[in-house]
Amino acid sequence: MKNTIKQVFHSGKFLFGFVIFMFILLTVLIYPIFVTADPLQMIGQGNFFKPGTYVSVEESALEKTYTLQIPKQFSKLEMVLDVDTRASIQDFLIKQAGVAESEIDVTDAEGLVALWKANYDPNTKYKGLTTAKRKALRRLDGQITAAMKDSGVIIAEKDEEGTLQQSKVIKDTDYINIKDVTTKTFLLGTDNFGRDVLTELVAATKSSLKIGLLAGLIATAIGLLLGLIAGYMGGLADNIIIFITNLFTVIPSFVILILISYSVGDKARGIAMVGIIIGITSWPWTTRSVRSQVISLRNRDHVNLSKLSGHSMFRIIFTDILPYIASYVVMAMILQISSGILAEAQLSMIGLGPATTKTATLGLMMQWAMQYSAHLNGSWWAYFPVVILIALISFSLNLMNTGMDQVFNPQLRD
Amino acid sequence: MKKNLQKVMSLLCVSALSLSMLAGCGGGNNGGTTTTETPAATEEASTEAPAAEEKTEDTAEETTEETTEETTEETTEETTEEAAEETTEEASADGESTPRNETLYEAGQQWGTINDWNPMSANSNNGLALSANDVARELVYETLFMFNPLDGELYPLLGTEYSWNDDNTELTVKLNADAKWSDGTAFTAEDVAYTYDTHVKYQSSQGSDFSTYVDAVEAVDDATVLIKAKVEGGKAINPLKVTSMLNTMYMMQKAYLQTVEERNGEDADKVKQDTMEDMAHTGPYAPYISNDQKAVLQRDDNYWGQADSMWGKLPVPKYIAHTIYKDNAAGQVALSQGEVDVCQQFITDVQNLWLEDQLPISTWLDEAPYGQCEAIPSMFFNVEREGLDQKEVRRAIAMAVDYEQIIASAMSGQSPTFDEYPRSIVGPTAGERKYVDFDAIADLQWENADVDGANKLLDDAGIVDGDGDGIREYNGKNLSFKAECPSGWSDWNASMEIVAAAGEKIGIDIQTYFPEASSFYDDMTTCNFDICMWSAPGAGVMNPYSKGMFYFSEEYAKLASNWSGNFGHYMNDDAEAILEAIPTETDEAKLKEYYTELSRILLEECPAVALMYRPQLFYAVNESVWTNFPAADDGRNIPPTDCTDGYGIAALYELELVE
Repeated sequence: MKNTIKQVFHSGKFLFGFVIFMFILLTVLIYPIFVTADPLQMIGQGNFFKPGTYVSVEESALEKTYTLQIPKQFSKLEMVLDVDTRASIQDFLIKQAGVAESEIDVTDAEGLVALWKANYDPNTKYKGLTTAKRKALRRLDGQITAAMKDSGVIIAEKDEEGTLQQSKVIKDTDYINIKDVTTKTFLLGTDNFGRDVLTELVAATKSSLKIGLLAGLIATAIGLLLGLIAGYMGGLADNIIIFITNLFTVIPSFVILILISYSVGDKARGIAMVGIIIGITSWPWTTRSVRSQVISLRNRDHVNLSKLSGHSMFRIIFTDILPYIASYVVMAMILQISSGILAEAQLSMIGLGPATTKTATLGLMMQWAMQYSAHLNGSWWAYFPVVILIALISFSLNLMNTGMDQVFNPQLRD
Repeated sequence: MKKNLQKVMSLLCVSALSLSMLAGCGGGNNGGTTTTETPAATEEASTEAPAAEEKTEDTAEETTEETTEETTEETTEETTEEAAEETTEEASADGESTPRNETLYEAGQQWGTINDWNPMSANSNNGLALSANDVARELVYETLFMFNPLDGELYPLLGTEYSWNDDNTELTVKLNADAKWSDGTAFTAEDVAYTYDTHVKYQSSQGSDFSTYVDAVEAVDDATVLIKAKVEGGKAINPLKVTSMLNTMYMMQKAYLQTVEERNGEDADKVKQDTMEDMAHTGPYAPYISNDQKAVLQRDDNYWGQADSMWGKLPVPKYIAHTIYKDNAAGQVALSQGEVDVCQQFITDVQNLWLEDQLPISTWLDEAPYGQCEAIPSMFFNVEREGLDQKEVRRAIAMAVDYEQIIASAMSGQSPTFDEYPRSIVGPTAGERKYVDFDAIADLQWENADVDGANKLLDDAGIVDGDGDGIREYNGKNLSFKAECPSGWSDWNASMEIVAAAGEKIGIDIQTYFPEASSFYDDMTTCNFDICMWSAPGAGVMNPYSKGMFYFSEEYAKLASNWSGNFGHYMNDDAEAILEAIPTETDEAKLKEYYTELSRILLEECPAVALMYRPQLFYAVNESVWTNFPAADDGRNIPPTDCTDGYGIAALYELELVE
């Protein structure tokens, strides 16, 4: 046994897969110790806030400031006036304001702005502009006005009469130390409900692993049991079992999965239930392969010897047959776990997974990201980490499987 | 024996195989319907849904229909088209493309092959041409008047003016003498009367609806119609409802209707199911191409509206085309690529399209909420369910919900908040808000996500968690409810999730349940739900009265199949008395008193709770090809109804090509 394990760990593939899997597993176990927040808490008010650190604006405005004489890399105006903006200003000045092209020098920011200010009036409806363009120009005018303003933003508070009293002026050399104010970091941004994607992802991975493990265990247990009985006993038992198995193999298991999930209803659909449903629909191929292995084993000499010694059927199965197929069963289970995780993701994608407000799963995260078209809005953080994680889990499990195969399968052994 | 067994086995296997194939197909079909229903968010938040939604069932018919449609189309074309044009048109029809600079592309209205053009149909999926609600789609068929949700006024179309007699029992409508049918014959008062009579005779949904309030529609002379209201005790039962006939009922031709009746043997079901592809219509566009890829309408260059008494010109685009998209995402991609000009779809973070992607796309307003919000998606509590019959439970759920989260995330900020427009029976438009005294009901409003207040309310009412499982009991039973809305309606699904999250915080177990749209409709219309979501009607001539009916009407609750409102069967005699008094009341002060009282009952008793405000139609336009679309600040008073609905069709006459 010890030797076998040693051998297995000597396989580079297995080790690599194992390390990835353990890394995921440990993260899932350790992360919640440090981040105790409820993974389903809706923090962000809005869809898909991008990753980064969010700083309390109110505290930043009120906090003690430090004056730092950092030379500005760009003037604010230069920042507003990028190449495209200059081109659109030039376009406006020529077409709508009737300024001669020779008068316009797009390289001279100050001059361009002066011309803009002289010719653009936000309240005029210029001819020949689309609404979108008109609105874009108005926004641009706002930006230019803001950029041209002298340094300093005034903070004012309402006094008892409701009139504004200046309480502070913020200059452009004012800085605060980020340690002094409340911040919140979303390493992977937020999702469509405003939930922290990273925290949710960890919780989701945990429940997906649970579902996969449960589904894998159940599928393997059923498959193994039926395969052993069918293969060893043969005859009528074999016929019946293989008939049922064929039936299940022929009907796409995902269809059964959908039908069962649908009839179970939302009420009972927790992690355990989804795991069980996936488990009881994905056993057939384990049964078939276990059966064929057992058939080849049952006429071996040591089995016949056991039979002659009058050992009971169970003893023969458990001591003379099971150990020979154990490695295969473990490998099959690993694959079952991996396909269980994928099946959960598929189920949740079509809205038949666990309840959104009660559990986080990888499939549910994908489903909501899709529904709120994160893939169209460029909100990669809402779905890409999920995809990567699903891929990593099945990749690592499959690697472990291939690694073990190389060790146990005499044909592949070098 | 063994051989026999094998034979039996193989036979069984074969039958299992064929069974599984059938099951597989069934499953596939299921998947298919999910996608057709997906564009949830785009569904108009109005009562027209029953008609538009039946599309699920039509999928089977579609294939057979396609073939018939194509043949009939060709014949109609040949008669209407000039010979010279014929060849070119035909060629383009075969290639199924129309010149881009003569075609206005829409998205978000048509979600499958068009199944009929029959305004009396109960299961039409024709979103492109038929939408007979307050803001009716005026492309193919026309109503007598067009409603403008911006100012709440009726604008003349087939009718020029209307007036009530002194005791409000008879409505006289003058018709436009220039109005003509697509076959060139004149549109007369006979047609109006016959349209109404046919609706009633065959008990279409509009016919059975209006016949409760309308006694008769009579042709006085060719250009004058007299609509007699049903009278009770010397007063019309509901003059508001009678007026709303002017802008919701599509006019059909008498001669054509008679043909339809004849070919269907005057059988009610057959008449209502007639596809009417060869119809006579008054509108500026006629059916042109319709298949599972797209639906196209073609301008009728003999349209009567080019007379000076109406528009004085033809609408600018020669074709109105609608590609059949698989889902919202596909429509959104097409919009951002400029393949769609006007998009009636919910778009997450729509502002990013112009702020970040710099696309020539704009909405009605430049800032949140981006649209003209009139409708109120609300959740109804079934007051016949144990637990939900307690107003404390209903109010506690209402108080605990995080509405700001719903508005910010589920609606992506495309709704004003309840801080800006406090809850009441009316929508957020000024025209409706003047009917409610908000100071009088200010103390009934609740703070956003007031979990403590909700918990206290339940504790005080003695509804507590006795067995320590985290869920409160009422009469010894756990308070556990299902909150449902159709699957795939993403903004509604997300709202229900946020409601469910609120339940968790106050010890009430709320599970979300998103069935297929058709089974949701069954649940909602027969009061077989715990909590369900539906939208209060948006703008219309009857508002805010129709919103009052939506929340409280006992009459609706008693309907066997109730599509109209009060789905939770909440009965309140005070409210009912007010609803009966409002239609005949003309004194503004008195009306304000009534609506304020209704709002008070709504907030106190919480039979239903508003979750957000929402535009009747979503509206985003891409100005890559066409420009001069309506915008809030253009001062033209043309509503953002996708250039197709109600007075919004005026925009079609003012479109310009981008140079």
